[in-house]
Amino acid sequence: MHLSDRVTGLFLVALGGVAAYGGSRLPPVPGQQIGPEVFPMVVGLSLALCGGLIALGVGRRYEDEADVAMVSTPVEGTSASADLLPSRWRELRVLIPPALLIFYVYVVEALGFLPTAAAIVLVTALALGARLRLAIPVAIVAPLAINLLFLKLLRVPLPSGLLPLPWIGLP
Amino acid sequence: MSDIAQAFTIVFQLDILIVILLASIYGLIVGAVPGLTATMATALLVPITFYLPPIAAIGAIISASAMAIFSGDIPGALLRIPGTPASAAYTDEAYAMTRKGQPELALGIGLWFSALGGIFGTIALMALAPPLASMALRFSTFEYFWLAFLGLMCATLVSRSSPVKAIASMLLGLLVSCIGIENPAGTPRFTFGSTNLLGGIDVIPALVGVFAVSEVMRAMLTSEPPKPPRRRLGSILAGQWALTKQYPKQQFRGNIIGVLIGVLPGAGADIAAWVAYSVSKRFSKEPQKFGTGHPEGLIESGSGNNSALAAGWVPALLFGIPGDTITAIAIGVLYMKGLNPGPTLFTEQASSMYALYIIFIVANILMIPLGIAMIRASSLVLRAPRASVMPVIVLLCAVGAFATGNNLFAVLTVAAFGVIGYVMERNGYPVAAMVLGIIMGTMVEQNLVTSIMKSDGSIIPFFDRPVASVLAAMTIAALLWPVFAWSWRFLRPKAA
Repeated sequence: MHLSDRVTGLFLVALGGVAAYGGSRLPPVPGQQIGPEVFPMVVGLSLALCGGLIALGVGRRYEDEADVAMVSTPVEGTSASADLLPSRWRELRVLIPPALLIFYVYVVEALGFLPTAAAIVLVTALALGARLRLAIPVAIVAPLAINLLFLKLLRVPLPSGLLPLPWIGLP
Repeated sequence: MSDIAQAFTIVFQLDILIVILLASIYGLIVGAVPGLTATMATALLVPITFYLPPIAAIGAIISASAMAIFSGDIPGALLRIPGTPASAAYTDEAYAMTRKGQPELALGIGLWFSALGGIFGTIALMALAPPLASMALRFSTFEYFWLAFLGLMCATLVSRSSPVKAIASMLLGLLVSCIGIENPAGTPRFTFGSTNLLGGIDVIPALVGVFAVSEVMRAMLTSEPPKPPRRRLGSILAGQWALTKQYPKQQFRGNIIGVLIGVLPGAGADIAAWVAYSVSKRFSKEPQKFGTGHPEGLIESGSGNNSALAAGWVPALLFGIPGDTITAIAIGVLYMKGLNPGPTLFTEQASSMYALYIIFIVANILMIPLGIAMIRASSLVLRAPRASVMPVIVLLCAVGAFATGNNLFAVLTVAAFGVIGYVMERNGYPVAAMVLGIIMGTMVEQNLVTSIMKSDGSIIPFFDRPVASVLAAMTIAALLWPVFAWSWRFLRPKAA
C-alpha cells in the first residue's frame, strides 16, 4: 500500500476539510468563548494545509536524507520470498491480521474462544508460510495456554461457546 | 527518609520481585525477536498489568522495556537485523565486530553500557524530577497548554522523516482525540451516532493496533529472518571494564544525549541511538574506523538508548506528557492505577516514586546476569520460527484489547489502528507523532478552553506570565523551524 505523496496529501486535505466542516456544524455552548467546534476546525484546517503541502512535495528532501541513512540497515528482505502471485495481490496479504481480528469480534461469542482462536492461529501461521506440521500444534496449544492465562491468572472469562472444556478448568 | 525506607519495603516483596523477574525475561525474549519491538512488548503487557497492584504493574513495564531495549542488540550483532528500532543505528557496527570474530565483545558492549546507561538515566530522573516538580506546582492551565503544545511540536521536530508529514501525523492524532464527549463542552463529536464512539477512542487498543498489529502485517510481506549459526561464545563481560576506562567521554556523552532526547516529548531510545552514534562519529579521533567494528560508536549509542528510556519518564511522571512511545503507554497505566501524573505525585505518593526509582536500578542491575543468560540462549530464541510467534501476537492483541474493558469494540479499534499504522509507516508518516496527538489532544484542548475562560477571552495571559512566555516562545520557534529550514534550503543557491 505504498501510495504517492500526492494521493496521501490529497486524502489529508479531504479528511481535514470534512473534519473542519463537521466541527463547524457543532452547536456552540452558551457562555463559553471557545465551543466544541473550535478545536476540530483548527485541527481540520491545519491538517488540510499540511496535506496540501505534502501533495506539493514540500519536505520530501528530509525523507530522502533519512532514506539514505537507512539504506545500510537491512530491515526487509521481500525479494527473497518466492511467491508466484503478482505483487499487487501479494500485498493484500497484509490485510490478513486485521481481517482475522474483525472475524474474532463477530464470531467469538457464537463459536467460543478456543475454536475462533485456533482458526486465527492456523490462518496466520499458514499465511507466514508454516507447514501444517507446525501450524496445527501451535493452533491447538496457543489458544489453550492463552485461555488458561487469562482465566486463571487474570480472571478474564473468555466466551466458551461450542467447546467447553470443564476437565481442564475452562468453563 | 521514612519514605525511602517504605519504598524499599514496597519493592522488596516476593510477589513484586517475581513480577519484575518474569517481566524481565519476557522483555528479553520479545526484544530479541526481530519484528517484535520494545514498544510492542509494553503494549501487550498492559492488559496483564490491569490485574496487578500499582507498583507491580509499573515495575513490570519498567523492567520489560529496559530489557527489550538491550535485547534488541542481540540479533543486531549476530544477524545484522535490529531486534528493536532502538538498535538500528549501530547494527552494522556490531555486526562488523561479529564478522571480525568478536561477537562476545559486541554483545558485551551492548549489555554493559546498556545497564550503565539505564542507571545513569535513572539518576538523571531522580535529579531532574524534584526541582521540576516544585516548579510545576506553580503552573496553571496557561503553562500546561504551552507545555502540551510544545510537546507535540518536539515530536514532529525530532522524527526521522519529513517535518510536514510528522505534523500531519500529529494533527491526525489530535483529530482522533476529538472523537467522543470527552471535551470541555461535553458535546458528542464525530460519533456518527455510535454509542461505542461516545466514550472516545481508547488509547490502549489504538496503541496495540499501531505497534503490534501493524508489525504482524509487515511480517506478512517480509521473508523470515535468517537463523544464526551455532557458535560458542566466550566470556561476555571480558574487556568491558577496560573499554569503560578507555572511552569515559563517549560513555558520558552518550548518557547525556540519551537523557536530553529522552526528556523531549515523543522522542525516545531509537532517536537517541541515531544521534549518539552520529555525534560519536563526528567527534571521534578516528572516524575512519566507524563501520568496521569499532567500539566507540557502539559504546556511545548503546549508552544513549538506555538512558533515554529512563529519562523518558521525566515528562511522563511530571506532566503526563509522554517522553517516548513506551511512556505513552505507561501514562495510561499510571492513570489506571491511581498514580495520576503530575507534580503532586512527588509529594503525596513520594514512597511510590522512590519505589519506581528502586525498580529502575534493580532492573538495570538484573539486566547483567539475565542478559548474559539471554545471550547464551539467543541461538535457541532466534531459531523459533516466526510462523509460531506471530499468530500468538495476533491472539494476544485480540484478547488483550478485550480484557482492557470487556468490550469487543476495542478489538475493532485494534484492527482499525493496525491498518492506519501500517499505511502511515509505509508512506513515511511517523506513527509516534500520531500517538502523541491521540494522548495529548484532550490535554491541549482542556487547558486551552479553561485558560480562555479564566482570562475572559483575552489571550494576553498566555504570553505575559513569565514561564508561559518562555514556553510560548519555544513553541512558536519549534512551529516555525521547519518553515525557516525549508525556505533556507529553497533560497540558498544549490551547490554542486
